[in-house]
Amino acid sequence: MDRRGFLKVSLGTGLAATAITTVAGCGGSGGGSSGGGDEVTLRYAWWGNSIRQQNYTKALKQFSTANPSITIEPEFADYTAFQERMTTQIAARDVPDIFWIASPQVLTYHKSKLYRKLDDIPTLKWDDYSKEDLETFKLDGQLNTLPFGIFTPVIRYNETVAKADGVTVPAEGPGWTWDSLAELLVAYSKNNPGKRKGTPYAPDHDLTFEAWLRQRGEQLWTQDGQVGFTVDGLGSWLDWWEKLRKAGGALSLSEQEGMGPDWAQVGKKVLVNFGNSNHIIDDAKMFPQEKFRLRAAPIAAGAPAGHKYLYFPRMAIYQRIDDGNLEAAGKVLDYNVNSADMLKTVRLTMGAPTNPKVAEQAAAFASPDEKEMLAIVAKERAAERKPRYEAPPGSSTWRTTMARICEEIALGKTAVPAGAKKLVDEIGAGIKRAA
Amino acid sequence: MTSRSRFHLNRQGRAAHVFLIPWQLGFLLVTAVPLLASLYLAFTNYDILNAPEWTGLENFQRMIHDDQFWASVRVTLIYVLVSVPLQLAFALLLALILDRGLKGLAFYRSAFYLPSLLGSSVAIAILWREIFGDDGLINKGLALVGIHGESWLQNPRTALATLIVLNVWTFGSPMVIFLAGLRQIPDELYEAARVDGAGVIKQFRHVTVPLLTPIIFFNLILQTIGAFQTFTQAHIVSGGTGGPANSTLFYTLYVYQQGFVAFDMGYASALAWVLMVAIAVVTALHFLVSKYWVFYGDN
Repeated sequence: MDRRGFLKVSLGTGLAATAITTVAGCGGSGGGSSGGGDEVTLRYAWWGNSIRQQNYTKALKQFSTANPSITIEPEFADYTAFQERMTTQIAARDVPDIFWIASPQVLTYHKSKLYRKLDDIPTLKWDDYSKEDLETFKLDGQLNTLPFGIFTPVIRYNETVAKADGVTVPAEGPGWTWDSLAELLVAYSKNNPGKRKGTPYAPDHDLTFEAWLRQRGEQLWTQDGQVGFTVDGLGSWLDWWEKLRKAGGALSLSEQEGMGPDWAQVGKKVLVNFGNSNHIIDDAKMFPQEKFRLRAAPIAAGAPAGHKYLYFPRMAIYQRIDDGNLEAAGKVLDYNVNSADMLKTVRLTMGAPTNPKVAEQAAAFASPDEKEMLAIVAKERAAERKPRYEAPPGSSTWRTTMARICEEIALGKTAVPAGAKKLVDEIGAGIKRAA
Repeated sequence: MTSRSRFHLNRQGRAAHVFLIPWQLGFLLVTAVPLLASLYLAFTNYDILNAPEWTGLENFQRMIHDDQFWASVRVTLIYVLVSVPLQLAFALLLALILDRGLKGLAFYRSAFYLPSLLGSSVAIAILWREIFGDDGLINKGLALVGIHGESWLQNPRTALATLIVLNVWTFGSPMVIFLAGLRQIPDELYEAARVDGAGVIKQFRHVTVPLLTPIIFFNLILQTIGAFQTFTQAHIVSGGTGGPANSTLFYTLYVYQQGFVAFDMGYASALAWVLMVAIAVVTALHFLVSKYWVFYGDN
């Protein structure tokens, strides 16, 4: 080939590649109907650890085996990476057909109209839910997200160690208060053979913080999307932790290697942990020789009626899903929440089932830790509950901001009242910017 | 020049442009367009989910009252001012030792260069956590002599120092460049200095250093720019928080937090542009001052 020929070939190849890229860029990607017959491909996005990835991938394959016309493309990521990927996918309008919603983003996505309504999809059944349940599931009166699990705030304690060290964790009731818990943790830290501390330093644990607020007549977020707690309300929580820490009842930041410690590292250093009810399932496995039990969060004297609450992880169907894929997507959602079959594979790491009948069925095959979790959630679910509201747009970093300020307080860089004011101001500024 | 040769040159020019198309496309799509887009976004409120909203200089004004911004500036400046000179001094020292005709030079050169390849990797940052943590190697060593050490990474007074040590440890890259520079210095100059009665220190001061200044300058520019952009180590060691108490909140980590945690892309873009301008100014200052201390041999 001479030089002229070579140049022609090069130019031709370049133009062809450019044209292909351009055309490809205009096309949709994945998730569409295949065009022929009733074959449907859906994209399903979720987060978690590698065990959850394997379990859900297996369960989705089982679904496709039972429903050969529906293929599911899994899109999995770790929690932080999941949120980053979702945001870029939303910007590119390349959102998965079905996706889990990270708690700080529930109302942000709602404001951006990402959710398709769910109450008109024939393949997704709502018959097992009470009217009250359905009301609590709604966002601004719309049933457009699907709660698929229930978490409650708990104190998890190591029963094996407690028995060996002669410690009795008070039963739920009048003696189970924040003060009695603090006394127990401080006394235990001062005198136990394993030189354990009472608890990790965890004032940034969101669910127990919310329980504290609701017991004082405050809330995390208001219905109109503002900060629902006062500087004093937050200050009282931080103060409780500061007294506990200074009295030696909690691990130091050094001992737990910073805020948000790794349970595998600190589990051997403490008696109890502040957590979500579902955490027992994965966390207990890290210490297979020991038995863990749950207590509901302590209750402050004079706590108002209806202070108890449930937290729901949610999933949704993308607003722009192809109409031809909608019924199949409804079927997938139905499989997630209205059938115990999936739970047998994925287990209960995402909490107690929201469907009461499925929760009953799950008890039959649940492990002892899962049974412990189901029992405590059932009790909280039966209690009177005032409404709770999701995090408003602009507040997505409130948990990291809270962790930073708690860290500053523990290091003596900020006093509790100043730290509380700073946190409320920073969250408020973020909400204002997003408004 | 005849019209035929002009045509010939033009044709060559066209051919050159054809071959440059992939690079030009890459530059436009991957560098120029995102750069201009980020310049535009720096003047907007943009959360990715909604269209950017023009806010003028608001993002830049916000920095003035942003404690986190100033904390990140402080941490980054300390890091640049301490770690870069230390790293270069250490690299030069090792280069001088290796230049003395050590046995197994190739092995040592490779062994010392290795940390430069690994230093900014995730694996090394994790290793650093294991070394300087509460139950880490350093504290285990101290425990043998009866000292109970706390986590070096959770103490605001020592956390940044551990990352400076990590940067100094990656001295291999400037060391190899110094070594090449040392090999270029003619032996006659040392012989002449010795004849004039200069000892080792005087030879170093009056022969080695002056002739090595272009290499020192080159390393200084590269390492300073790299230090301003430090990210991975701080992200891994602090779990992405920049803690404890903002002591490892590097500027790039703060840009990342604003862009990919808070999804405040407008503010993150403004921060990124401030960093770019700051690096440009520092580099220009280096060049301005270089005429007073860099000796190129031909002036």
